Amino acid sequence: MLDSALNSYEALVVLATSSDENYPAENIIDGKTETFWISTGLFPQELIIRFTDNMKILTISIHSYNIKRLRIEMSTSEDADKFETIAETEFEQTESSLQTNDISVKVPNATHLRFVILSGYDHFVSVHKVGVQS
Amino acid sequence: MVKLRARCVVVGDAAVGKSSLCHMFRSDGAVFQKNYNMTAGVELLEKSVSVPETSDSEFFIYDSPGRELFADACENVWGQPSVMCVVFDITCEASFTSCSRWVERVRSHCNGLQVPGVLVGNKCDLSFRREVDSAEARTWAQTHGFQYHETSAKEIGQFEAPFLSLAQMFHSIYQDQIHTIKNVL
Repeated sequence: MLDSALNSYEALVVLATSSDENYPAENIIDGKTETFWISTGLFPQELIIRFTDNMKILTISIHSYNIKRLRIEMSTSEDADKFETIAETEFEQTESSLQTNDISVKVPNATHLRFVILSGYDHFVSVHKVGVQS
Repeated sequence: MVKLRARCVVVGDAAVGKSSLCHMFRSDGAVFQKNYNMTAGVELLEKSVSVPETSDSEFFIYDSPGRELFADACENVWGQPSVMCVVFDITCEASFTSCSRWVERVRSHCNGLQVPGVLVGNKCDLSFRREVDSAEARTWAQTHGFQYHETSAKEIGQFEAPFLSLAQMFHSIYQDQIHTIKNVL
């Protein structure tokens, strides 16, 4: 399922701390790397994805640009509270390509994933595609 | 239309009018402090600036103390600045000479990022006591890639200009970044 679009599984982006109507947050779950969401200034930035069913997740793949430090958290409740950290990582800077990272996690069942972008290599960072593998 | 957010650090020697400028801008000209109160800590002000037909920028303005005694301790509050506003007093040569030092100081917090700036020659209503030549200030600004504005924080219609410039420059960095990303795809 790593390569298929999350939105075909009825996942939703329920929160994004930046919004430019030309680059909506839904772009990160449409399965395409050509469309993206971009932050509009300052850190940290947050994105929360909600799943309709509880998800077992072993790998999270992210296509992005200029992200430096990223923390991923999960929630098992319906109300998107009580998040716990499942990974914290630093991406390498890329210039002529997107950052492509697969992050191994142990998530038995999650209702929400929260991505907290703590810092970037520029004022603005973009997320192109988020995929999960169970 | 997109809303950008920027951290704007305001620096310069003591008593050049940083707080006056910030407060006049914040209040759309409603608040001009007639009495001098030295800023000892960093004062945080929030204000949105509109660049017609392109973007709104929400500025978090960090009005920082000029007095050396307080400046050191306050630098840590800045975090990573998005834009900077360097202020001097056109009737005080020494405050202009200090500008390079202030820029260095801010840059040391920028992690090598491109941070747009404006140079503001304040108190231009006191031009009969002028010690800093406009042309000289403009040349300095150009060599640093800054825009130059002369203002009187007292006068309506002048204190907005530096912040509007910063909003425009920050927006063009945003546009450049989108352009770069699209080229990578």
